[in-house]
Amino acid sequence: MEETLEVVEEEAPAKPERPEDVKILAFLCNWCSYAGADLAGVSRLQMPPNVVDIRVMCTGTISPHYVLKAFQEGIDGVLIAGCHIGDCHYGKGNYMTAKRFRVIKDLLAGMGIDERRIRLEWVSAAEGQKFQDVITSFTEQVRAAGKSRLKGV
Amino acid sequence: MKEDLQKAIKEALSSGKASAAVILLEKDEELMPKIVTSADDPAIDSLYAGDKRYPMASFVVMLQPVIEGNIAIPVRECDRRMLFELEKHNQIDPDRLVLLGTPCTQEVADACGCDHPFTENGISVAPTLASPAEPLPLPEALQSEDPDEKLAFWMGEFERCIKCYGCRNVCPMCFCNDCALDNLDLVNAASKPPEIPIFHLIRAVDMADRCVDCGMCEAICPAEIPLRHLYRQARQVVKDAFGYEPGVSEEKSPIEMLGEPSELAGMEEGFRTS
Repeated sequence: MEETLEVVEEEAPAKPERPEDVKILAFLCNWCSYAGADLAGVSRLQMPPNVVDIRVMCTGTISPHYVLKAFQEGIDGVLIAGCHIGDCHYGKGNYMTAKRFRVIKDLLAGMGIDERRIRLEWVSAAEGQKFQDVITSFTEQVRAAGKSRLKGV
Repeated sequence: MKEDLQKAIKEALSSGKASAAVILLEKDEELMPKIVTSADDPAIDSLYAGDKRYPMASFVVMLQPVIEGNIAIPVRECDRRMLFELEKHNQIDPDRLVLLGTPCTQEVADACGCDHPFTENGISVAPTLASPAEPLPLPEALQSEDPDEKLAFWMGEFERCIKCYGCRNVCPMCFCNDCALDNLDLVNAASKPPEIPIFHLIRAVDMADRCVDCGMCEAICPAEIPLRHLYRQARQVVKDAFGYEPGVSEEKSPIEMLGEPSELAGMEEGFRTS
């Protein structure tokens, strides 16, 4: 008697279709925005988990090259957050940020890279609520711009 | 033109106005520089005074620390702008220079799209030869408003890059001892062709407040990348934002100085892009 073998192909359980979410890099100044992010955290304010932060001593230390490197490595949006003008721990560090930001933003726009991917905000240590608003709205903004296609081109 | 330059160099050296002069010699259709210290040097008789350009301002940065006294140097108008910009960046001592202004011919001016093919500064060795030329036309893709088209254009151009570093090496404004393009954290040294667009954009950012639009980078590029349009775009950004034009504006670059609160006036809306 011949045995019949039935091959049953097991179907893999269908994975939920979920588009890859955007990745955002945030440069936070040690004295204001990092403390502001901390305040938002201890206040249990909910915000999107797309943001990876890098703490810098002053936003004035952020070279435009860092922003370019972030985009080259596949980051979809770059946020720079520091002390309000006049409140800089080092006096005038954020003047430099403001001017450099203007240059890098316009340069990227001229290259055809979406302006919505980069943003500068002043968030003080007392503005936990503002930090939440900035992260939420910036994430929405970068989602609207979509995934960056710069990596591996 | 050649005789005029020879005469001017001999006079500068024999009168003691300069202790050394830089001349160009041509060999196998390639230019090479030579330093002459005496008016009797036979090399002066065979100097090159044609249409080929050479980054003369780089020599000044190199030579001033090692040569005592003044240096006589033939300059075109673009060289003069470079020297002015280098002076603002504290790279050269303008008092130790004897500029021998050499006018460009009409062919050079037309090829460069130069609106100022003669220099009024220094000793003029010959009268003006050319009238201002029409600026070079923009590539079609850059005239469009569509960002995707622009990005596709630039990526297509950058793709041809063979990472020879020629644009940096020829550029007189690239005087930094530690170059960002040699920074292993920014640029992967092993990657050939280079990672784009970061390799070109790093230079574009740095050129935004330095480039004097001489076009030597584009002339030397073996991949024929339209670098001049790239750096012009960067210059335009700084001009629109701060009214600063490298090589022309008298003051120092605003994005290398911390600045005053008044400089930030009207920039607040520029911060946000939402």
